[in-house]
Amino acid sequence: MRDLFLSFSAEVTAFTTFELQGTGMADAYLAAAIGVVGDGPVQQLLAVWQGIRQEGADVEGRLRREIFGDELLGPIARNIVKMWYIGNWYQLPYAWSQTFGAHENDTTFAVSPAAYIEGLLWPAIGAHPPGAKAPGYDSWSGPPTIPEVPE
Amino acid sequence: MSLEQITSKEELYEYLDVAMQLEHATIPPYLLALYTIHPGTNPDAAHIIRTVVVEEMLHLTLAANILNAVGGKPDLTTPHFVPTYPTFLPDGETDFEVDLQAFSPAAIETFLKIERPRQAPDEESRIVRRPGNKSFISRRLGDESLHFYSIGEFYEEIARGIKFLCERDGEQSLFTGDPALQVTPEYYYSGGGELHVVTGYESAKAATDLISGQGEGLGGDIYDKEHELAHYYRFDQLRLAQYYQPGDTPGNPSGPPLNVIWEASYPVQKNPRIAEYRDPDIHRAALAFNQSYADFLHTLTRAYNGQPQLLLDAVPQMFRLRDKMNQLIRVPLPDKPGTNAAPTFEVNELSREI
Repeated sequence: MRDLFLSFSAEVTAFTTFELQGTGMADAYLAAAIGVVGDGPVQQLLAVWQGIRQEGADVEGRLRREIFGDELLGPIARNIVKMWYIGNWYQLPYAWSQTFGAHENDTTFAVSPAAYIEGLLWPAIGAHPPGAKAPGYDSWSGPPTIPEVPE
Repeated sequence: MSLEQITSKEELYEYLDVAMQLEHATIPPYLLALYTIHPGTNPDAAHIIRTVVVEEMLHLTLAANILNAVGGKPDLTTPHFVPTYPTFLPDGETDFEVDLQAFSPAAIETFLKIERPRQAPDEESRIVRRPGNKSFISRRLGDESLHFYSIGEFYEEIARGIKFLCERDGEQSLFTGDPALQVTPEYYYSGGGELHVVTGYESAKAATDLISGQGEGLGGDIYDKEHELAHYYRFDQLRLAQYYQPGDTPGNPSGPPLNVIWEASYPVQKNPRIAEYRDPDIHRAALAFNQSYADFLHTLTRAYNGQPQLLLDAVPQMFRLRDKMNQLIRVPLPDKPGTNAAPTFEVNELSREI
């Protein structure tokens, strides 16, 4: 499950599984998703992803149609992307809760203090999280270091 | 056996070169232990290790200042400046090796050995006879079983050698270095103590005293001249789960309890090797770290050879090294369940690959 979660996350964040694991947040994000919507929908999302990945054809189109376009899985998938980038779980849309039921833990929350620091948005823009991961005095006089986008 | 080992400037250069290697050799193990601590846990332990490693960096720069003051040439880019772990310390202690390993009781036991007080009971015991591997000092002494008892004894010999050469040849003929090569405090801040500019006997003595005092305490006291707890006793607090406070004697801290959660650390590969990293992403990242580390040592070498302002550039370099280390440490090795990657610090291997 962890491996599938990582390969799905790598596909939808455009960071490598190495970079994702390098944040130290993989287990916490997987646990957060399961903690809110339960094991079933997360398993279902990853099973669909496993099928898409194994067949390997039209991956992007099928991701759009079968996961992001799916009424149940789409909002969960978008929340997983947001967690990786921002470190927060965002409360699911009202329509989703109306259809699939309200979940007790479905509020907007920071996954952990480390999640803020490890958000992918910071490397994506070549910056550091304000108040954390100090880049060193005068480092701002040099250009940002933005990681290469993997192919 | 004559205890006066340093009788020429060339021998002093050699000792100071080894002193720089020695100070540096402690830094990768300390940093790895520090960064393997899970974020947000073990704040006391993390703080203790951090204060020590920052002072080792100061010692490295102090050793460079002494070497420059006597007309030597600091060079952190020579082959074998960075040891291959596990390693004996270059000052010649051979009863223990230093590993690159995660924060753990074993790591702290090693740190205590590194920082152990001088302890030699009398003059004759400063250099002890131990069957062991070849080391710098055993070769120098012409007897491979002879070794310094501790880092403190090693620095004692440097201090003695400086005094001897001053008295024999005069202070002016010993301190012939260009004062412009000294790293001054304006380029070295928040550095865990005073950065002494070395221009003569008194300032060289102050520099070696500071190094010895921060490591092991002075004259049997657990505190140094600045009333700071010596490194050995800072680490001892982790073993004994209690803080020392002024008035305490070695082994009997009476301060507040110090809670350590040993399990809250990433289980990284002990003494890792790039060649063992089969995952291409991990291999690439470990190699990139080593390249950055080699670049960093090159920057330091230039800073110690007339461009001290480069130490300001070295600051962001160090923070990037920290981030790269943290990234590697958190990635599990796919072919070794339960073990994470770690930086290997194989700088010499690198130069052969490129």
